[in-house]
Amino acid sequence: MKLFVSGRSAWVSIAITLAGALLFALLPAFLSPYGVRVGQLFVLAAGLAVAWTVLGGFSGYWSFGNAAFVGTGAFVAALIELALPGWSPAGAFTVALLAAMLLNGLLALVIAWPILRLRGIYFAIAMLGVSQVCYELVSNIDALRGALGVNLIDIVPKDVRPERFYYWALLLAATAIILIAICVRHSKLGYGLLAIREDEDTARMLGVPTAPYKISAFVISAMLTAMMGVIYAHNLGYITANSVFRNEFNLNVIVYSLLGGMGTIIGPIVGAGVMTYVTQVLLGDLLDIHMFITGLLLAILVLAAPNGLYGIYDTYRLRLKRQKREAGR
Amino acid sequence: MSADVILAVRGVSKSFRGLKAVRDVSFEVPRGAICSLIGPNGAGKSTFFNLVTGYFRPDSGTILFEGRDIAGASPVDVAHLGVARAFQIAKPFPGMSVTENVRIGALFGRAGPRDVEAVTQSAMQLAGLAELHDREARELTVGQLRRLEVARALAARPSLLLADEPCAGLNPTETAEMVAILRRARDAGATVVLVEHDMPAVMEISDTVLVLEAGALIAQGAPQAIARDPRVIAAYLGTEE
Amino acid sequence: MTMQTLVDGLVLGGLFSLSAVGFSLLFGVLGVVNLSHGAFVLIGGYAAYTLHEKLGLDPLLALPVIMLGMFCLGYAFQRSVIQWATKRASLLASMLLTYGFALMIRNALVLIYSPDFKSVTPAYAFDSLSFGEVTVGLTRVAALLVSIVLLAALAATLRYSSIGRTIRATAQQEQAAALCGVNIRHVFALTSGLSAAFAGAAGVAIGLVMPFSPPDETLWTVNAFVVVTLGGIGSPAGALVGGLILGVVNTMTAQLIGAAFPNAMMFLLLVLMLVVRPAGLLGNSFKGSR
Repeated sequence: MKLFVSGRSAWVSIAITLAGALLFALLPAFLSPYGVRVGQLFVLAAGLAVAWTVLGGFSGYWSFGNAAFVGTGAFVAALIELALPGWSPAGAFTVALLAAMLLNGLLALVIAWPILRLRGIYFAIAMLGVSQVCYELVSNIDALRGALGVNLIDIVPKDVRPERFYYWALLLAATAIILIAICVRHSKLGYGLLAIREDEDTARMLGVPTAPYKISAFVISAMLTAMMGVIYAHNLGYITANSVFRNEFNLNVIVYSLLGGMGTIIGPIVGAGVMTYVTQVLLGDLLDIHMFITGLLLAILVLAAPNGLYGIYDTYRLRLKRQKREAGR
Repeated sequence: MSADVILAVRGVSKSFRGLKAVRDVSFEVPRGAICSLIGPNGAGKSTFFNLVTGYFRPDSGTILFEGRDIAGASPVDVAHLGVARAFQIAKPFPGMSVTENVRIGALFGRAGPRDVEAVTQSAMQLAGLAELHDREARELTVGQLRRLEVARALAARPSLLLADEPCAGLNPTETAEMVAILRRARDAGATVVLVEHDMPAVMEISDTVLVLEAGALIAQGAPQAIARDPRVIAAYLGTEE
Repeated sequence: MTMQTLVDGLVLGGLFSLSAVGFSLLFGVLGVVNLSHGAFVLIGGYAAYTLHEKLGLDPLLALPVIMLGMFCLGYAFQRSVIQWATKRASLLASMLLTYGFALMIRNALVLIYSPDFKSVTPAYAFDSLSFGEVTVGLTRVAALLVSIVLLAALAATLRYSSIGRTIRATAQQEQAAALCGVNIRHVFALTSGLSAAFAGAAGVAIGLVMPFSPPDETLWTVNAFVVVTLGGIGSPAGALVGGLILGVVNTMTAQLIGAAFPNAMMFLLLVLMLVVRPAGLLGNSFKGSR
């Protein structure tokens, strides 16, 4: 069984990703601690957005509730670490990370069966509901300590600066997510998901097993999102329900894809980069009107470039192709 | 049922809110044939395709495909058994290239994973799309889209191809091309059933013609015989020309 | 005690209904999910607050003025922004657009009014009526009455007036209505205007009963979602049923399970309803689920 359907472009994408990751890994040497923190935000955003894309971008099922997996992942990890006193930090962290991913995969599997039957806007709303239920439960059940907050163990090695360590940790996770997304995209699963996005009924008619495919993508997306959530939680050091079940995680991931290009892998990465740069660097001092500017950007984006930056590039590329063809005649 | 009958339809009926779309239709399609289903608009031809591909479940009757009753099976299962359908309104995936579209047909069809590329290439070759391989579907003309639709269906390696008005809206050159493509598909091993309004094409290509009117099968036979059948002429005179 | 909870639930439910009916109308007729609906509700509340603080105008007297102003806002919003977005992008993208507007409005409200809670307190704010064991504040009675009267008025308008018939016809058969000479854009904008006017009215009624702050906009948008999912899309009756159920479930949950759980219960209900009966209890009055 071949892993990739379109082997060459998959390997090219993987090579580019690895080269890009290496380049980004070197960045902290040239950045101030503040710059590295902005870098963390970018890498976190890119990882979450690509994890969202595995379902939302590829299959067209837009989840408005991925914060459910960020938050549940973070809290599962935190509570497991709490239950493992005396373990070495590395050991406890590994167990917590794996358990968080596994449990989120299970959570996704359980809710997938009923809610992935909903299409379009109804799936989006149901996921928003799921994320709110998770948030409310975690913040209101005392044993889960969502209101009180939990400390996570310190996993930073002694001789590394924390902001650099977490930059690299998030970068590693994001790279893994991107590589997995590339594998999905170029595998049979990926082609099936794209077919579902384009036209679910036609996909069924072509023999795409739509339900198992959607569920697989959903579970993968949830597990990857949880992985990012666990590392982010350790970066925060201390979490409450409010700090990890954030509405931004629900909606910004979609914004990044819309900005960069829906359905592509590079799109959400570029989108995350642009939004992080604009909000953190360009508008970093305008905290009072931060939200206003974000909203305005969103509105302008939807109105001016409904298909994102990739859409602009794509139109241009198609035109070039046509011109080349006509010139060739 | 003899081994060389690929599709046997027995007493199939389907109604929608009391309206009988297909009533008690029975016929057989021999393996390797090209068989046309004709009839005035609303005669139940498309409903019939929807019944065979698992979109609708018949109210009564059996649909035997290679000896197995597929009435009411899910579209995915029917596809996996080897029935492919090319839609009248071509439904290619617009953002994908021609190759990718056809590849999806091959991936989820009956070709082994190692043969996907070969099957994809041969289906594009057969449908005359080789030169357009890197074109995106949204760049294609109506005629090219129709060929893409057929190529994607054939890439699944179906033993039965259902083609829904493959020649509708095509100019004479394109129609001739489509007829040639369907012949090649048959020669490559697929039995072809088409719904078609283009009578010259039907006469040229068909081994058997089935005539539906108001959901009932009113005639079947060789094209020349059908063209002279008084019931068929009457059925058409009422609605066309 | 239970009777008191029930009455409190109904008052709250009336507010839920009124705040959701505009959202429901817009969703039913245009298919647009307006994520800035909750922000519109708050604009109504803050307008009532300003008129009361600066001019001493009673919120109930300010209601028609605010509704008119919000109507104009909603009309303009549709003609300028939403129309453009739905034509060029997808409906899902229009959700993002309205989310962007919600953020802008929320930020603007914080800048103008501060992030603190505000409430509208007319002279009779502390009077109450008693029926046996049940005590209801006068403002709550007013809020419930406003909700019911306005919902009834909207239902009558949609049912009997010519503009109401046009709106319903457009919702069911957009192209057919256009062929009959209906100016679709105008009808859509009218619908959006009505939607905003009712959001504003809900804001006034909410201001009478409870304190509010800019971040509440999310809550009111999500409430509207839940109400619509419960009751069904596009009809005042659906909004009323959904709102009242939600209100009663809300106060009952707080009473029986714990003060912290109404929201969790509400979202659980939302998810369950979507799965079991996505068309709502009363079904879709207008378009099918898309």
